[in-house]
Amino acid sequence: MADAREDWTRRQAFFEADAVDQLVTMVLELAAEHWVLRERVYTIEKAAGSLGLDLGAAVENYRFNDADRATLAAMRKTMIDNLMRSVNSEHRRTRPAGTG
Amino acid sequence: MPLELNHRLKLELDRDSAARQDFVSQLRSYILNDMATGMRESFEKTVAPAFEREHGRLPATQDEVHDAMRSNTFFKFYSSVRYNAQEMVWRSVIPCVERALPDIEAKIRALSGSAGGSLTLDPTLEIPSNVADVPVHLMPGGYAPSATPAAGAVYDNGLAVFSAGFMGKNLDDIGLSMSNYVKFRYPEFAPKKILDCGATVGHNAAAWAATFAGAEVHAIDVSAAAVTYGHGRAESLGLPVHFKQMNATSLRYDDASFDVVFTSMFLHELPVRDIERFMAEAHRVLRPGGMIINMELPPNGELEPYDQFYLDWDSYYNMEPYYRTYRDQSPEALLAGAGFARDDYFQFVVPQYSYTALPDFIDAIRAPRRIDGDTGRLSASLQWFGFGAWKR
Repeated sequence: MADAREDWTRRQAFFEADAVDQLVTMVLELAAEHWVLRERVYTIEKAAGSLGLDLGAAVENYRFNDADRATLAAMRKTMIDNLMRSVNSEHRRTRPAGTG
Repeated sequence: MPLELNHRLKLELDRDSAARQDFVSQLRSYILNDMATGMRESFEKTVAPAFEREHGRLPATQDEVHDAMRSNTFFKFYSSVRYNAQEMVWRSVIPCVERALPDIEAKIRALSGSAGGSLTLDPTLEIPSNVADVPVHLMPGGYAPSATPAAGAVYDNGLAVFSAGFMGKNLDDIGLSMSNYVKFRYPEFAPKKILDCGATVGHNAAAWAATFAGAEVHAIDVSAAAVTYGHGRAESLGLPVHFKQMNATSLRYDDASFDVVFTSMFLHELPVRDIERFMAEAHRVLRPGGMIINMELPPNGELEPYDQFYLDWDSYYNMEPYYRTYRDQSPEALLAGAGFARDDYFQFVVPQYSYTALPDFIDAIRAPRRIDGDTGRLSASLQWFGFGAWKR
């Protein structure tokens, strides 16, 4: 077996239905971004607390403006692009959208 | 957790990128330890007994194990999650390297020569198809996509995430373990000139330079990206290493010019014909009394069928097309074919130098360990396999 795989551009599938492999990709991407967010929220609360700020109350009282809404919409689009990368073949093997 | 690199080319990560890399690295550690243990249990308790009921015997080869495991749900999830994690290693690193590339290039220019090493590129070198045409390890673009150091930086930082902390403080544990094995096993042997072939970013060549201070250390690779980045990396560590863009199957060095020829995780990237060419070249450039020493995955011939199957997962699913063909060879026979006498062959298993107290490391050399299922496998009980031969 000189070459274990003939087609080196095709993603591997391990389940009978490809959709399961794609779902695994989605779940793991989602888990990664979920973790990034959890760590950031943890850090924000700790950092703010060290400065004497009660961020919990400030967050509840904050109201989004149009710029906030546009920024959040773009961020959601990036997150969905990454989540759907295994389904949308055009995005396969491309750099992760908007990370960092 | 991923290793935090300890050299001046390391990326300065924003918090989200660092958190993403931490997640991927810990996921890999979970796959390679918890999931791997669970998959083995599933084989022993479910798959092997079912095979025995059908065939009247247990699986006798890794192919039989592999075929039997394909329909096992644990294997499917293990493989799917591990495959995705491999992609996520690179995805967690590439955007960071793209942002930092101008800074990395500037640092390499500033550091060049500061430690006494050098960089020699060969724009005329033909990149062999096993590097040019295959995105080895699923690394996008492969190892030699351009002359910029980007691929070297992606590999170095990706390996830090991939290795989940199992490969030493600067990804140098293999080099440290092999060089210190030589130092303590053969105390009368004092190499003056050392060659690391297929060295990529020189993380192990730097270890040889540290262990044998004063020796002239050369590191070659076909990838301009790897040796350019490696040059800056070694210089930033204050270690003089001479990086050259060169193919190990056609060494541009004089006969009998080195005391040590070393490789690490290199042979399994080559088709067998190129392994044979490299070993013949190694024999040619070694001085009488010198040694070739290779760190590699253990040969299939010394492992149980399940362990063969487990290690050869990469050959099927991680863009390692020559992994299994290499591991099916006899290391001793490969060296004998290149002109090394069978009486001069040696092989060994050592614990990790970076995580082992020195007296225990030396004891392990004196009381050689045997190859087992954890040899060469990134896990909490990892140990390294090495083999080589002296040149008469």
